[in-house]
Amino acid sequence: MDNDNNIDFKDLWKKQSVSPPDMTDLLARVSKFKKTNLRCLWLTNIFLFATSALIIFVWSYCQPQFISTKIGIVLMILGVLIYLTVYNKLLGNYKNIDANQTNHEYLQSLILIKKKQNFMQTKLMNLYFALLAVGICLYMFEYASRMTVFAASLTYGITLFWMAFNWFYIHPRKTKKQQEKINSLIEKFEEVNNQLV
Amino acid sequence: MEFEQIYKTYWDRIFRLCMGFVNDYDIAQDLAQETFIIVWQKLDTFRNESAIGTWIFRIASNNCLRQIEKEKRFPKSDLPIHLSEEKQHSIEPQIQFLYKCIAELPETDRIIISLELEELKQAEIAKIVGLSEANVRVKIHRIKEKLTQKFKENGQR
Repeated sequence: MDNDNNIDFKDLWKKQSVSPPDMTDLLARVSKFKKTNLRCLWLTNIFLFATSALIIFVWSYCQPQFISTKIGIVLMILGVLIYLTVYNKLLGNYKNIDANQTNHEYLQSLILIKKKQNFMQTKLMNLYFALLAVGICLYMFEYASRMTVFAASLTYGITLFWMAFNWFYIHPRKTKKQQEKINSLIEKFEEVNNQLV
Repeated sequence: MEFEQIYKTYWDRIFRLCMGFVNDYDIAQDLAQETFIIVWQKLDTFRNESAIGTWIFRIASNNCLRQIEKEKRFPKSDLPIHLSEEKQHSIEPQIQFLYKCIAELPETDRIIISLELEELKQAEIAKIVGLSEANVRVKIHRIKEKLTQKFKENGQR
């Protein structure tokens, strides 16, 4: 006997009109879903791989003489590789959250992943930027040393200015927005999770 | 169990769970479909440790929780007005009112009451949500009281 004061919620609940299941529609979505997922994964990877390929090409084509040039190239590639690895791992984690957990556990996994994403957007981006900046400066040294002092300082000046502009202006603005989004999401998930305590 | 059979057996129940969560016919249909996409992908990893119903309802309710993220990305109010126009799917206002009330509850309460109304055992609900059975019982009692109260206030009896 329900203690719901004679309102038969179960009966009302089941009277909800239900959209008829359509198997073909579902299968169409399955294949579309697979395609978009793949595209997402490839875009970032292709872009970063192309960068690395270009750098390697320059190495083998220009035959740098200075050790600083080679270290510079290694640092840049390292930056790209670290970023790629973590990015792919995170994407994999996100897609493969075990859906067969209790809601409580599931919410905790979601929170954890969002926190990792936060880490990625701050600490990892910093590392990426630093490696890239140091790498480029070292890389340029060999070529700059062959220029006049004026041309060399101009080259370094423009490059450093561009990096500083990215680092101090574009980067903080972009991350701030993303961070706000992620933080509000974490907050919301935590709030929902607390309903279960 | 064959996928097609699962699909036919559980579609209505999963759809209602999603509908209780979002109270929006189109979004609920999307969520239900997403659930079955996951079921379809993971069916071969399903081991008979738990009942298949528990397994499917876990996937469905977790997917509903994940919907929160999409909601944040595209808040409903941002949609052009003609898109958010309510379609008249339910016939009785009482049914609509019930789903509206449920969708206004805290997120996990929506899941708990939906599972209860689907006549799942409280032990099973506990396993899906991740609470103790006693806790589930208390929650169901409180939610039903809340719903009854809302129905009374609204003069729906």
